[in-house]
This record gives sequence, C-alpha cells and structure tokens, in this order.
Amino acid sequence: MATATGATTREPGARVGSTSRAGRRARTGLAVRQIRRGALIVLVVTAGMPAVVAGQYRTTFAGVLDGPALHALATNPAIRTLFGPPSALDDAGGFTVWRTGTPLAVLVGVWAVVTTTRLLRGDEESGRWALLLAGPLRLSDLVARIIYVLAGAVVIVGAAVGAALIVAGTSPSGAVFFGAGLALVGVGFVALAALTAQLWDSRAAATSASAGILVATLLVRMVGDGVQGLSWLQWVTPFGLLAAVRPYAGDEVLPLLGLMVAPVVLGVAALVVAARRDVDHGLFGSRGRHGPRRWLLGSVVGFVVRRGVRSWVAWAAGVFAYFLLLGLLAGSVTAFLADNERFADLASAAGFDELGSVPGYAATMFALLGLPAGVFTAARIAEVVEDERTRRSVLLMATPVSRGHILRAHAGVALLGAVGLLAVAGLAMWTGARAVGAGLGVADAVGGAVATSPIVLLCLGTAVLATGWSPQVVLSVGSLPAVGGFLWQVIAQSTGAPGWVVEVSPFAHLAAVPAEGPDWASAAVMGSIAVVSCAIGTVGYVRRDLAH
Amino acid sequence: MQDLTLDVFPGEVFGFLGPNGAGKSTTIRMMLGAIRPTSGRVQIFGDDAADVRRAHRHLAYVPADVALWPRLTGAEILELLARTGPGVDVAYRTELVGRFGLDLDRRAGTYSTGNRQKVALVAAFATRAPLLVLDEPTSGLDPLMEQVFRAAVVEARDRGQAVFLSSHLLGEVQAVCDRVAILREGRLAEVAQMAELRRLRRTEVVVSYVESPPDLAGVAGVQGAEDLGSGRLRFFLSGAPGPALRALGGFGVTGVEMREPSLEEIFLDYYGRGV
Repeated sequence: MATATGATTREPGARVGSTSRAGRRARTGLAVRQIRRGALIVLVVTAGMPAVVAGQYRTTFAGVLDGPALHALATNPAIRTLFGPPSALDDAGGFTVWRTGTPLAVLVGVWAVVTTTRLLRGDEESGRWALLLAGPLRLSDLVARIIYVLAGAVVIVGAAVGAALIVAGTSPSGAVFFGAGLALVGVGFVALAALTAQLWDSRAAATSASAGILVATLLVRMVGDGVQGLSWLQWVTPFGLLAAVRPYAGDEVLPLLGLMVAPVVLGVAALVVAARRDVDHGLFGSRGRHGPRRWLLGSVVGFVVRRGVRSWVAWAAGVFAYFLLLGLLAGSVTAFLADNERFADLASAAGFDELGSVPGYAATMFALLGLPAGVFTAARIAEVVEDERTRRSVLLMATPVSRGHILRAHAGVALLGAVGLLAVAGLAMWTGARAVGAGLGVADAVGGAVATSPIVLLCLGTAVLATGWSPQVVLSVGSLPAVGGFLWQVIAQSTGAPGWVVEVSPFAHLAAVPAEGPDWASAAVMGSIAVVSCAIGTVGYVRRDLAH
Repeated sequence: MQDLTLDVFPGEVFGFLGPNGAGKSTTIRMMLGAIRPTSGRVQIFGDDAADVRRAHRHLAYVPADVALWPRLTGAEILELLARTGPGVDVAYRTELVGRFGLDLDRRAGTYSTGNRQKVALVAAFATRAPLLVLDEPTSGLDPLMEQVFRAAVVEARDRGQAVFLSSHLLGEVQAVCDRVAILREGRLAEVAQMAELRRLRRTEVVVSYVESPPDLAGVAGVQGAEDLGSGRLRFFLSGAPGPALRALGGFGVTGVEMREPSLEEIFLDYYGRGV
C-alpha cells in the first residue's frame, strides 16, 4: 500500500465528462460479454427446474397430500433441516418452491460468487485492468459498473424464474415473490463477493471467503430450521429469509425487505473500500514477508500436494459439516418415513428409494457426494492448464520434468484428495449417526461414501482428456459427469423419462451402498472409461504445443 | 521456421538476433520442447529436445517475461527449481542473490517485473547446466543490474558453460557475445564473429546546412554521402569522427544528428536486404 497521503495517490486518472461516460459504457459492454454465456446457462437451469417440477406436481402429486400428512411433514425437524420448512405443499407453486428453492438459491449464489470474484479480482490480479484504469475511469467507478452488470444479470435470472412459474400455471403473486426473493439472494452474494474481492488481493482468497460464508449460512439455515428454539436463525441467513418469504403461502414482504439489507450494506462497503484502496492491493492479503517454508518443495508430486492442501482442507471442512448434519438427522428422517407411508411413496417417486432405513438413507445421501468430490477433482486438474495459461509453470517445465509426469502428479494427487473427501464424508456421517444412536457401522458408512468414487474417476478422466485436447474447457468438461450427470438424473426422473434416458447419467449406475452391495460391474465399466480417457488425454497433452 | 541449423560451443556466448516475428522465441520454444518442429529435429547435446527429461538435464532457461507462483516466496521458488532442476551450486546462488539485491522473503506476487526476472536469472546462473538459454533476459533490469547480469554471463562462459542469448540490446550483445546469429522471416540470415561485426559498425550522420552542401569527398571515414534535399545531407561514418567534424566546420552547418544503427541494421545492411 502506498504510504503517500491525499487523493492524488488513491485513484488513478482524472475524469473527463463525455470520454468518461463512453469509457464506462464500454466497460459495461465488456462485463456483459464476459458473463453472458454463464448467465444464460444459469438462467436456463434455474427457470427450467421449477417449471419442470411444477408441471410434474400437477400430474403426480396433486391431491395426494392431506392435512395430517402435511402437519407431520411440516413439524419433522429432519425434513425441515434438509429441505427447509414446507408451506403450501398442497399447491403446485408451494411444492415447487419447497423442493427447488434451496438448490436454486445455492446455484445462483455460487454462480454470483465465482463470477463476481473473477471479474472484480481475477481480471485485476492478472493485470488486465492496467490498461482500463489508464483511461479516464476510476477504480471505484469500474467496480460499481461491474457490480451493476452482475446484479442486473441476477435480477434477470430471478425474473425468468418468476415468469417460468407463471407460465407453468402457478399463482402469479407467489411466482413474483419467489423470483424476487431468489434475485435478492443472488444480488446479496454479488455484493458479498464484490466486498471480499476488495478486501483480499487474490481471486482464490476472495472466492474462498465468499464461498465459505455461503456454505456457513446454508448450514446455519439448516440448524435453525431443524433445532427448536433456534428458528430465529433463519432471519440472519439469505436462505432462511428466502424460505420465510413463504411464496404461495404467505407472500411475506418483511423477509423480502430483510433480503435487501445485505446487498445494500455489502455493496456500499465494497465501493467504500474500492475508493480507498490502491490498485492491485486489498485491505488484507499476502503482502507479508516470511522466511522460506521448504516443506514438500523437493519434488513435483510434493509441490502439487502442497498447493492443494489449503483447498482440500476447505472442501473437507464443508463436506464434514454437511455429512455430520446428515448423520445427526439419520434417525429422525428414517423414523418419519417409516411412520408416514405416503411420504415414503413420494420420496420413492422422486428418486429417493430406501429412505426408510438408515443404510438406505445413508446411501441416498452419499450419492450427493459425487458433486463436491467430482468438481474438486476437475478443479485440481484444471490447475495444470491454468499454470500453462498464466505461464507460471514455464520455469518448472524447463527443468528435467516431463509433461506426462506433471499431469500424472496432478491426477494422482487429485484422486487421492477426492477419495480422502469421500472418506471424510463417510466418517462424518458415521459420527453423526452414532451420536443419535442410529445404527450405521463405520465400515458401512465409509464404504457407502467410497462407492461414489466412479463419479470421481469419470470427472478425472474427462478433465485429463480436456487437458490434452481442449484445454480451454477443462473445469466445465471435468465437472460434467458430476454436475451434468446429477442434473440429468434429477430432471429425467422428475419428468418420468424412459429408463435409457435416465441411464445416460452415471449416477444411475451407482449401487445404493450400504443398503445393497456394490455394483462391481458398473464400477469397472466407469473405471475403464476413466482410464482410457486419462490415457488419451495424457497422449494429447504430451504431444500438443504448449500455449506459452 | 525453415532450415535452421545452429551450433553453440562450450565456453561461448552466442547472440541470437532478429526483428520482431523473425522466429527467435519460436526457435527457443522448440529447443525447450514446448512446441515441435513440423519436420526435422532439435537436439540438445545429442538428446531429442522433445525428451525433456534427458534434454533438460543439459540446460537452464530464463524467459523474456517471467511468471511465478504468486504465493511462494523467492526463496521457496529457488528451492523448488533447485530440487527439480539439473543441480545447483548453492554457495554461488547465495552470492548471486546478494549481487542482484534480491529479497527472497517476499511472496512472488509482490515482485516487480525486474525482481521476477532476477529470480529466474539467479536460478539459471546457479545451475551447472552446460547450456544457458536466455530469452531477452534483461528487459526489466535497471542499468546497474544489467552490469551484474553481464558479469554473471562472463563467469558462466569462463566456467565453460555455453550461453545462448536472445537480445535486442546492442550494447549487451557487443559487451558479452562471441558470435552472433541473425534470423529473418524464419530463416537464418547469417552467423558472424563479434569482432567482424565491430568492423562493420557505421554511424549514420545527417547534417543540416544553409547554403551549399558540405563537400566531404576524400575525408577519412566518410562513406556514402548523399544529399537528401531541403538542406540535408546524409553520410556514414566509421572510425574516429575527428576528420569529418573538422571538415564540416568549414561549411555553414546548422545541425548534426548522429544515430547508432542497431545490430540488425548493420547486419542486414552488410549482408543485403534480400537474404
């Protein structure tokens, strides 16, 4: 940070009337172009999911749920913890909001965080802002412009969700309240990520801070909904406030106003910090000096481990907290479904078979593990290409270390880390289940978690394949088996698609371990696909020209 | 790139010159195995350049624009490169860190362009690899550090290391190189001894006059005098400027501009533009 005082050192550039306006317009256009593709995907998924679920409710569930069943559902702490407090389940819109509200809010929130830190810190960190800021554009103006563009994108997503629900035939007022609530949650996370992007001087740190807060508020929401006496906690998290809006049931205005507090406070804070900090700096960050820490610098494998440790610990902490919570709920979910056959049928129709027994419940929840473990794996492999793109690995590549060795080191360490995450989830579930006396052995728990490893292998295979042949899209291609496969299965099952359509998703080929034995044949097929993909990808990577 | 054959010998500093886009960096990236020649082969001490585990035991590399892992300190990066690289003289490395005035306890993310370049230079000079490949290695260094760099190049040569130096800086090339190659449009235009180039060096002089053009016929060191019109005369000067300046004093000269041609210009001038 420059120590000189006064306004002269703080903000580069003088402002010149019309040129400044033109510069801001140009910057707005650039930001729109940087986010439009991702925004479009998020829009299609967020607007498509509720429309599909609402349509399906009319054909399948309508009229099935009666008063006592609803009461049982609304008061069960486990159900409230997992899906949020249900209200208006007798209405297509109310059911849809209950079923999709939290996942959609998480999706919009994660996209908002990742995109905001990419535009607001990633571009600055990589030096792409140097030219922009040489023109008549102040740092705080630039930050404000990008915040407006991102907030606008999130509002459009919210409007599309509302419109889709109206088209699906649900009550317009409920649709508007849900769309508005979802948009405000998204704008809140844009503002949060904008603030962390001003506070920290690296994109990774800013993203981790924002994503950590997102996960923490989600867990707080779950605890607040599940534990009597802590229900006030819903008022301090965006997910709780979104549920408190009670679209189609109450259409409450107060929680919507509550959702406006975070965007305003965090957004203003982001602009205040942006106006006071130096370009390329944050308020906190990695500016300190320290003596050399030589651990794990002796080999490529060690170095890859060292670079991945921080993010692994963060992923593991999130996975542990989530599956500990699921373990704590094991007894009460299974007891609830055992007592309420109607819901057991509904859960089964929605793809959650076997929820009525603890091992069946554990198996169903473990299938979710494919998502974090698969995305973690793809992200670790994507680092190879990121190092190439940023030219960081040029010096290492000039040492007697082959490309094949570097890629294999990343693949091996990623696989080890992902399996470690699975084991952490198994142990967490076991710990939770044990605390509440639900019968789940440690071997069953860890075995059930590790049984999702074919998804990890497929993510590894596609990520390595992309590294060799299509290096621009490693993260998205590598995440496809996990994220795409999961969404595919949910949508295919919800729409009652024929069996072969469902079976395109790798999730359809996971056995419900520990409720049943592992499906070795399917695992072998998926493992073989992964091995072949890795081999083809490695050949491509070793043979192709490097970007720099 | 076409038909490029270069031999660089131990204990030699080999300059590698050429205009932008001539293919200098492409050549270096082929030597490093980062890209492959469409035909033909690149060998480093007899090992195929694509087989980097063998070929890179013989070399150390400094890129033109050094990027480093931002969270590692300078010391940590040197440690990583030393442990994965072809062997390092730790005592000499410590000495180089002192000479370059490099603060190793700072994270690389806080380094300036020049400091990042120093990290790569220290790492390369500290190796005992027989070949040092330096791609415009001093673009971010100040004049004092340029002197430190030149001294390190000379020490490497005296140890018997071959230095392959791609550079745009005439002074740098003249100060340290033994031989120079020039590349044009992907082809090797010429390879020459540095001493030969020094003989070729000519200064371009343009004088402005008021009345009649100065008559420089027969003046020692003056060649190629040409009237440019509108009161300007150009000629080339080699050797000591005294006789030419004395001759000009006799005419009504109102201004003198002198320009040092670049090494590429000397080269192309001498060997002809049509190479």
